[in-house]
Formats: sequence, structure tokens, C-alpha cells
Amino acid sequence: MPEKSAATHTPKVVTITRQSRSNRIVHALVASSTFGLIVTGLGQMPFYSRYKIADIPGLTWLGSYEITLWLHYLFAFVLMGAVTYHILYHALRREFAILPKRGDFKHSLQVIGAMVRGQKEPPSEKYLPEQRLAYAFIAFAIGLTIVTGLIKVYTNVPGWNVSDGMHFWSAQLHNLGFFLVFMGIIAHLAAFLFKPNRKLLGGMRHGQVEAHYTLERHAHWKEGVQKARSALAGQTPPESAAPKPPEEETPKGDRPCEESAAR
Amino acid sequence: MDRRDFFKRVAVASAASAVLTVPAAQARDRASRKMGSIIDLTRCDGCVHLNTPACVTACRDKNAGRFPEPEERFLQDYWPQDFHEDWSSERDRTDRLTPYNWTFVERVEVPGGETVFVPRRCMHCDDAACQKLCPFGVIGKSEEGAVNIDTEFCMGGAKCRATCPWNIPQRQAGVGLYTKLLPKLAGGGSMYKCDGCADRLANDEKPACEIECPRDAITFGPIDEIKAEAKRRAEAIGGHLYGLDEAGGTSTIYISKVPFEVIDRAIALDKAHTQDDLPGRPHMRPEIQSSLQNAGGLFVASVLAPIAGAAAAGIAVYKSRQKERDDA
Ligand code: HEM
Ligand code: HEM
Ligand code: SF4
Ligand code: SF4
Repeated sequence: MPEKSAATHTPKVVTITRQSRSNRIVHALVASSTFGLIVTGLGQMPFYSRYKIADIPGLTWLGSYEITLWLHYLFAFVLMGAVTYHILYHALRREFAILPKRGDFKHSLQVIGAMVRGQKEPPSEKYLPEQRLAYAFIAFAIGLTIVTGLIKVYTNVPGWNVSDGMHFWSAQLHNLGFFLVFMGIIAHLAAFLFKPNRKLLGGMRHGQVEAHYTLERHAHWKEGVQKARSALAGQTPPESAAPKPPEEETPKGDRPCEESAAR
Repeated sequence: MDRRDFFKRVAVASAASAVLTVPAAQARDRASRKMGSIIDLTRCDGCVHLNTPACVTACRDKNAGRFPEPEERFLQDYWPQDFHEDWSSERDRTDRLTPYNWTFVERVEVPGGETVFVPRRCMHCDDAACQKLCPFGVIGKSEEGAVNIDTEFCMGGAKCRATCPWNIPQRQAGVGLYTKLLPKLAGGGSMYKCDGCADRLANDEKPACEIECPRDAITFGPIDEIKAEAKRRAEAIGGHLYGLDEAGGTSTIYISKVPFEVIDRAIALDKAHTQDDLPGRPHMRPEIQSSLQNAGGLFVASVLAPIAGAAAAGIAVYKSRQKERDDA
């Protein structure tokens, strides 16, 4: 999956590839299916008719428990497919840069504190510590909705009956998962109210972020720093920066931050 | 949370759910305690000699202590709607299902001058849509197959009524959990319906309606025997059955000489004639389907989705490795 070269993409600002096409597709599928699941999940509650949203022309289908249930299933399949892909893909490639590390909570406070006060942030790896925490939180919440949602899918099969407790807890925990996912997304989007974070938006749109930004904020992201340096060196676009300068060789056995070059 | 841990949790929970559901499904048909009932319309005469049919009185007497007692201050409209469902001033009504009347006898004049009396109540479905689709999971089913709403934890959104093939559960405002949360903004009361005298069935006793019926029109018993008996009686009179296959199977089987589509049409006509569009007088449409009847196929799709994702991941990783090799 070749990326557009930085040169053809943004002629003036030097950029590097931050998010591979695979990551961007997964993010788009997860985001859109989650959005669909929230909308149709509320359709499983007596919500749209009660609050007259189903009275709005064009939205009457939201008042149908049946239509919204089948759409909920559809979005759930997309989400589960994307999540399985995501877990397996990164497990096989041994890319764990987004998993939380010890001290992330404290470091998040430092980074966010510096960001709000407009001071210089402590350098981060590919992901800011709060991004790793956000990932874990959202992953947990989505995992909870998937596990409990699957139980609901099973119990809806004709002839399959489970205990009262199973009905109660799958519904209650599915609702809790819904709430957590919802809060997670609000926080996720609120992060982009802060200017420094907006530099990351391009990474999820077309894959590119500024080389300077990478050097300043993600100084501990070895791969990114290498790409940024070679890109800024001017002549070579990031993709052909393959032969690495020997002193920048990633030490063997180094911990997770070695997210491999986006491809 | 460590990713392996996460993976393990997903695996354990899906395995657990599979283990818990499969035996339950297999056990269903052999379930020794599963009960059913016959309502024999060739026997019921609607207790025309009484003011109120005996089964209805029996049901009301037995359950009087469980009827809703709403607080006046909570009897307010469901914002932003301008209505709320309050039957507390019509507790005496026995001509339909209400939160205060869990069974009633529909008097049906069928063409040809005949009158059929049809006692109505919850069918106690094999796959109860009300239970499976309750967004709070507060509808239970006893070992005997009696479907029961937990009125204390019900939020009164009435989804069970909307998804029940017969719209059986009825709502009373001003009671239930929502009064303790945001009574103005969310929730609507609690839902009430026949609970199959679950307490009696659990003690191997007969439900109240069966005991009081002077004509033996209502018979409870082990489901297999009930089904066999219903078929035998219907065959003997060249009659019709209702409830055996409807909504994917229920535990209540009606027997009638008059075809059920005729009864259904007569009920619909009468409701249209009297402009009765409130819930509480169920139809009798043969072969009515539950909205969940297609859920089986979609279950298969829910297994295929992760497999497709896994396959795509395998291919993507393989390709990227190939590319790395080519580049090297
Ligand atoms: C239109 C809405 C959204 C936008 C603009 C957006 C944008 C972004 C961006 C820019 C990143 C950072 C990527 C990087 O570090 O290079 C990101 C990461 C992420 N997004 Fe979204 N996103 C949206 C919706 C969602 C939704 C609905 C979900 C899931 C429920 C989601 C889940 C995640 C996760 C788990 C991460 C990784 C953790 C993190 O960086 O905080 N996103 N998103
Ligand atoms: C971000 C993910 C999700 C959100 C926000 C979400 C939200 C909701 C909400 C609010 C409800 C209504 C309340 C309830 O019935 O408990 C619901 C119901 C349901 N959800 Fe989800 N859901 C998500 C994912 C899933 C997934 C992955 C599945 C299936 C694998 C699923 C299957 C179901 C089913 C079958 C129902 C309800 C119908 C029933 O009661 O049987 N959901 N969902
Ligand atoms: S008849 Fe309606 S209320 Fe009774 S068990 Fe079936 S779905 Fe539930
Ligand atoms: S079922 Fe029995 S008790 Fe009920 S109305 Fe008919 S005859 Fe009377």
C-alpha cells in the first residue's frame, strides 16, 4: 500500500507518514460503525418516539425497533470485523506502541498541564501518554459492548433461551458499555479543541503530519524522528529514506515504541 | 490493561456465553418442568350468567395486592408528549387488558349469529420477544415457562408492548423505578401483565383462572401433554388451534371450531366500529410472526464478521511482509 509522497501531497510544509492506510481504514470503520451503533442502539430504547425525533420527516424509521435492530446488527458486524482485523494485524506485526505503559497517568497530567499552560511539553513517543490511556479506555468500552452485544445476539436466536441473570447483566453491561463509549468519544473529540492536538488530525485523514511537529512533540518516536530528519534533509522523500544512518539504529529489544514504518 | 489480558477476557466471555446458551437451548425441549395451557373456546361460555367471568375475578382477586398504587404527584405527561397512561381511576374495567386487569374475555360475534368467548392474556411465548428485547433485561422466565415482568425495575418505556406480537403488557404511570430517577424526563411507569401464576406453577399448583373456571375451559399441564391433548381435541371436532406455531410457538393453545381468521376479523371490525384504538384488546391473527424470527441467520453473520476481519488481517500482514522482503 504505497503512500502518496510528502512532496506531492503538501508542496510547502514537509510532512511524514504517521498513520498507514491500514490504520486509517480501521479508524474510519470503527468510528463510523460506532456512530451507527450509538444511533441505532438508542433506537433499541424507547427514545426516538418519546422525544419526537421520529416525528421529523425522513427520520420516522428511527422509531421502528425492528429497522434499527437490523441496522444495529449491520454496524456491529462492521465493528467486530474491524476490531478483529485491528487486533490480529498489530499482534502479528508486533506493533504495541499504543498500549499504555507504566506512569502514563502521571505523564498524561504533565503533558496536558503543559499544553493548557502553553509551556513546553515533555517529549512523547509515537503516541502521547493520554492517547495510550484513551485507547485503553475506548478499547475496554468497545470490548464490553461487543461481548455483551454478542450475548444479546445469541439470545435473540429463536429457540435459544438463557437465564434471567444473563438477560439482566448482558443488558445492564451493554448499557454501561454504551455509556462509556459515548463518554470516551466526547473526550476524544474534545481533545481536538486544543490546538496542539489538531496537528494529529491530518494523520487520520491522509496519513501525513508535519515533520517539525514530529520532532518537537514526538521526540521519543524513533521511527518518526528518523523519517522527519530525512524528510527535512530535503532531497529524499520519506519512503526512500530506507538506509538508516547507523547511529540512529533502533536498539534491539527496545520496548513497544518501535511502531514500524507506516506502509 | 494489557492487550493479552483484553484478548483473554473477550475469549473467556464469548466462550462462557456459548457454554451457557447451548445447553439451555438443548435442554429446552426436554425441560421437565415446562408447562403449557389449553384455552378451549368450545367450552368457555363467557360466564354470561355472572357480571364478571369467573377467571377474570379469580385473577383480579389473586393479584389485587400487586396492582399499581401510583402517587398523584407522579401522574404527569411524558415530556415532551402530552399524554400519560393512567388506569388507576378505571380499576374496575374488565373489558380489556389494563394494569389492573391481566385477563379479560373478548365477546366475539362471528358472521352467522354465533358468539365466541375468548379469554385473553399473555401467551407465555417460547421465544418471548418482550423478554429478549427488554433494554434493561428485567423480564424473567421461570422454569415452568412463565414470563414475568419485574415491575420494580421496569422503566415503563413500553418496548415490551410494542414488540409483543399481541401487545399484551399494559402501562401504568406514576409507579416504578423512573419515579426515583427523572420522572419528568425519562421513563413512563411500569408494565403489567399475567405472570402465569408463576408462584403456583412452581409449587405444582393450578393457576387461579383454571381453578375457578366452572366449565373446565382452561387447563394447565406439562407442555408435551398439553400439546398432545390440544391436537387430540381439535381433531375430534375438526377444529382449529392457535398459539402452537404463532410467534414461533407459545405455551398457550386455543382450540376453536370457528377459524381464527374469522375471530380475528370480527375483533378488528368491532374495534373499528367502536373506534377503539387503545391497546389491550389483542388481535388473533393466525401465523403472526415475532420480529425476532430472522435473528437466527444474523447470528451466523455475527460469527462470520470477525472471521472476515481475521482473514483480512492475515492477508494484509502477509502482503506487507512480502513487500518488506521485496524492498530489502
Ligand atoms: C469524526 C470523528 C473523529 C475524528 C476527527 C478522529 C480523529 C482521530 C485522530 C486525529 C486520532 C489520532 C491519531 C494519531 O495519533 O495519529 C485518533 C485516534 C483514535 N481514535 Fe479517533 N477520531 C474520530 C472518531 C473516533 C471514534 C468515533 C472512535 C471510536 C469509538 C475513535 C477512536 C479512536 C482511537 C481508539 C484512537 C487512538 C487513541 C487516541 O489517539 O486517542 N475515533 N482519532
Ligand atoms: C459501540 C458499540 C455499541 C453501542 C454504543 C451499542 C448501544 C446499544 C444500546 C444503547 C442498546 C439498547 C439497550 C439494550 O438493549 O441494552 C443496544 C442494544 C443492542 N445491541 Fe448494541 N451497542 C454497541 C455494540 C453492539 C455490538 C457489537 C453488538 C453485537 C455483537 C450489539 C448488539 C446489540 C443487540 C442485539 C441489542 C438489543 C436488542 C436486544 O435487546 O436484543 N451491540 N446497543
Ligand atoms: S405474549 Fe407478549 S407479553 Fe406474553 S410472553 Fe409473549 S411477547 Fe411476552
Ligand atoms: S374461561 Fe371459564 S371462567 Fe373464564 S369466562 Fe370462560 S367459562 Fe368463565
